[in-house]
Amino acid sequence: MPASRLPARLDVLQSASGVFLALFMWLHMFFVSSILLGKDAFWHVARFFEGYHIFGKPYPILVSGVALFVFAMFIFHAALAMRKFPADYREYSAFRKHAGEMKHGDTTLWFVQVYTGFAMFFLGSVHLYTMMTRPETIGPYGSADRIVTDWFWPLYLLLLFAVELHGSIGLYRVAVKWGWLEGRNPAATRRNMKRAKWLITVFFLTLGLLSLAAYIKIGIDHRPNYGEHYVPPSIEEPLEPRQ
Amino acid sequence: MKLVYTDVLVIGGGLAGLRAAIGVKRRGLDTVVLSLVPAKRSHSAAAQGGMQASLANSAMGRGDNEDVHFEDTVKGSDWGCDQQVARMFVHTAPKAVRELAGWGVPWNRVRSGEREAVVNAEKITISESPEAHGLITARDFGGTKKWRTCYTSDGTGHAMLFALGDQSIANGIPVMERKEALALIHEGGRCYGAVVRDLVTGELTSFVARATVIATGGYGRIYKVSTNGIICEGTGMGIALETGVAELGNMEAVQFHPTAIVPAGILTTEGCRGDGGLLRDVDGHRFMPDYEPEKKELASRDVVSRRMTEHMRKGKGVKSPYGDHLWLDITVLGRAHVEKNLREVKDICHYFLGIDPAVDWIPVRPTQHYSMGGIRTRHTGESTTLKGLFACGEAACWDLHGFNRLGGNSVAETVVAGMIVSEFIADFCQSDESEISIPTSLVREFHAREQGRLDELLATKGSERTSDIRRRMEEIMIDKVGIFRTGVELDEAVEELQQLLHRSRNLGLQSSVHGANPELVAAYRLQKMLKVALCVALGARERTESRGAHSREDHPQRDDSNWLKRTLTTWKNENDTLPTIDYEPIDVAGMELPPGFRGYGQANHRNHPDTEARVSEVTAIREQLEGADRFEIQNRLMPYKHLLPERYRERNERLEEPNPSS
Amino acid sequence: MQANARNLIMNETTTRTLTIQILRHNPQDPESEPRFESYQLDEAPGMTLFIALNQIRDEQAPSLQFDFVCRAGICGSCGMLINGRPGLACRTLTSKLGPEITLAPLPVFKLIGDLSVDTGAWARQMGERLETWVHQESEPDIDRLEERMDPDRAEEIYELDRCIECGCCIAACGTARMRKDFVGAAGINKMARFRLDPRDERSDEDFYELVGSDDGVFGCMTLLGCNDVCPKELPLQTQLAFMRRKMASVK
Repeated sequence: MPASRLPARLDVLQSASGVFLALFMWLHMFFVSSILLGKDAFWHVARFFEGYHIFGKPYPILVSGVALFVFAMFIFHAALAMRKFPADYREYSAFRKHAGEMKHGDTTLWFVQVYTGFAMFFLGSVHLYTMMTRPETIGPYGSADRIVTDWFWPLYLLLLFAVELHGSIGLYRVAVKWGWLEGRNPAATRRNMKRAKWLITVFFLTLGLLSLAAYIKIGIDHRPNYGEHYVPPSIEEPLEPRQ
Repeated sequence: MKLVYTDVLVIGGGLAGLRAAIGVKRRGLDTVVLSLVPAKRSHSAAAQGGMQASLANSAMGRGDNEDVHFEDTVKGSDWGCDQQVARMFVHTAPKAVRELAGWGVPWNRVRSGEREAVVNAEKITISESPEAHGLITARDFGGTKKWRTCYTSDGTGHAMLFALGDQSIANGIPVMERKEALALIHEGGRCYGAVVRDLVTGELTSFVARATVIATGGYGRIYKVSTNGIICEGTGMGIALETGVAELGNMEAVQFHPTAIVPAGILTTEGCRGDGGLLRDVDGHRFMPDYEPEKKELASRDVVSRRMTEHMRKGKGVKSPYGDHLWLDITVLGRAHVEKNLREVKDICHYFLGIDPAVDWIPVRPTQHYSMGGIRTRHTGESTTLKGLFACGEAACWDLHGFNRLGGNSVAETVVAGMIVSEFIADFCQSDESEISIPTSLVREFHAREQGRLDELLATKGSERTSDIRRRMEEIMIDKVGIFRTGVELDEAVEELQQLLHRSRNLGLQSSVHGANPELVAAYRLQKMLKVALCVALGARERTESRGAHSREDHPQRDDSNWLKRTLTTWKNENDTLPTIDYEPIDVAGMELPPGFRGYGQANHRNHPDTEARVSEVTAIREQLEGADRFEIQNRLMPYKHLLPERYRERNERLEEPNPSS
Repeated sequence: MQANARNLIMNETTTRTLTIQILRHNPQDPESEPRFESYQLDEAPGMTLFIALNQIRDEQAPSLQFDFVCRAGICGSCGMLINGRPGLACRTLTSKLGPEITLAPLPVFKLIGDLSVDTGAWARQMGERLETWVHQESEPDIDRLEERMDPDRAEEIYELDRCIECGCCIAACGTARMRKDFVGAAGINKMARFRLDPRDERSDEDFYELVGSDDGVFGCMTLLGCNDVCPKELPLQTQLAFMRRKMASVK
């Protein structure tokens, strides 16, 4: 009996799902940060995903669908990645001791991934579940209300750091793991990739923090009118809250 | 009492020991290898440069064959070697390289086309033929007429040792690590195995075997500065010597390598000079051509080492806190060559000297390197006097190297001797001759004796410290039994070494642990080392001539008339403070290559009375057989094929010498 | 040139006093507990940890256990944690370290005593498990011309064959620290070495049997401690990735 090919397949899938999620999060951040261009911009982005620009009216179920798919990938990736987590305290403390002694960048970064991954189990699930069940609330006011009045901002702040660290470290690791873009001098490539990784983290963290600040400002201003939906001035008819 | 039985007990897990074990295992015998350290850590791994075998594939090796290799080896030995053994060796060496190629050694290969090389400080262009492309290539080494040294960059010993280590795993050979043989079990001129100590637990086990093989390497560590690994303490020869029966041969023949770094004593490979590196003095002057106009840096090791010492005595050395040294200049080879083909050298310079040999000169001086002497054996590898005891590799005086060995011949000897000797061991073990019936009381007696010695060492609180005595021995050896020797200094050395041996019988240890105890280990090895050192010093004192690496300033002439003989030392009684010396004549009348001038060094020797007759005999045979093929001529001069195990008798194929049966 | 060669090692003038902390424990002795012991000695020019440890054993701690053989960075005996990182003690110049040095045995391996660990048993077990030898149906014919090999290929094989099984990569591996059965970089590099060797007749399917599992190449989390501490500077990063790709594409 030949050895099971399952470990090989799972290894590929872990990387693939991770890459998908990391790239998705890059796009996601660009969409979310459209708030920095104004409420109208974000309104259009949100409605775009509800098919408004195609069908003439929004179908939030489409967003639920996307959220469901991402949620599934998220759970799938988490399940695969968990295989690598320390299985018990003995393993955990062995690794901690090791990382402490080695003082080795990539080893320490893996710990960051374990912690951020672990945190995202909870933070990510809450967010994804909300997006799945209340897609119609996504909008300049709806999102801002959620962040401020519904007290999501601490969660998003933590999630932002977890996602940006986890995603860029993960992408870097996947690249060295499979030897992508190695070139003639793998050591130099690795150094460059690591530098790029940090730049990307900083870029997205900045973008994320600025966006979060924008939502918080809107949310504070909008607190008296909690629940009200934003309607761009260019649109005359208010849209139906539910289809 | 723990007792283990095996057919063949191999003591030593380096190249020679492993190859011997693989040989007997493949013949269906049960074998166990004992090793002080994990086998792949053996000192064989440190052989950087390569192994000689006359494959004649590369352009600079064309025309090479067994005859040329034989001549180089005999001249290198200063006619001290056993010429029949040298013939067996040069014939089997190509087979050894090819066997290892099959077992995975990534020998460097010939690349067809032109390439640049540095020879004699000049860039030359070598043109390799397309028909040799992909065959095993060779580099230049000292003392050879042709480029004959097969290599894998500068990690030849490593690559070979790992290939053999892995083969021994493939063959399921148990290698018991951290085990030290303390004594051979023997009675009535027959060896029955060994009492062995576990270096971790301290426990003794007696191994009983039909054949016992000692392959423990050399005795470099009796010297203060040596290129040898720290486990090369000569204790394998020590246990043979302590039987009182086994003979050690030519122990005074000790080689100094010209280029070990200062102060660490770590070797930089002969490949440095082979590839075109130069020796320079305090003024940056390349001095070797002044002494050796023909061979220059690539004369044999004994000659280069002596010339360097001579030059430093003239005040041309570079002063340093660690004494004088000279420079090895490999900057002429260029960075690319240094980083690719001499990377180990580059690493050593980087880590131990903090320099970059592609731009800096390397501080070097001659340093103890190799023990030509060892357990005297017949051509079969069996001790001449103790039946059932075999030896191979550096531990043996088989006697391939005589009074000086050529670079690349020692690595070759390990595997070649392993191949040949293992066949003879297997023949022996598969014959009735090897049947043993020994009473357990004999084993118990040896076992109890060794246990008693250890207990006594731990219990007696004598006044002497092991490290003091050991350090003094090392100093005496390097100062008085070194590159240049004189009768006066040798007298002093023998005298003081005897005193040290006396003192070593009154050791006091701080710890009294029976298990892992480095202090105890050093203590029980000390007497063995001192006895070995005394064999070297006394042999050197008695030999009033200069031959190969043995250089007497008070007797600079090679004296074939009195000294064309092998020194044999035995330790008759435990309480003796000197070995008993005997001599074994080397038969001039049977020599294929009668004694003459080596072609380098000083032409200064006194002929043996039989030399003239033999020279004319040889000349006559050559004239008579003019036009005959070289094999026929060789066979008439000195037949040797009948001495080889049958499986190694076939001719070696070469590009220019196709195998007749193919 | 000459001046340059002399300055670094041989003409150091300032003398420091080194404090060396050694993690000591003798598992053979039931009363022994792991503990750090501190030794002081004067630094000498060109001093390596080999020299320092021998001096400590000679003068202060006769029972101190450690392993050296070649003392030249070739044999791989003396791997230990030097200030927390695996490295070869013999070729570590004390001048490259601070005045306080911490030494501990390599983790993962069975402790023999003090700084001595059983890398030999580990290497043997790895050899048996991964069958680290050339698998060939026929024996080489040693009387004939050898099989030809591309010169570049021979050099590429040697490049990977340079592993000295010192165990540093294993001790530097987060996965190996957590999971004892992980083959580690040394093992995977060996598979890459034999896969590259045209004399080895094994297929990728055969290699998959040996390293196609979570104890093998898929257990590696690419922390690259191995790559970054390897005393021989083996291209472990490249080889781990290479074997992962090859094993993942086995049908």
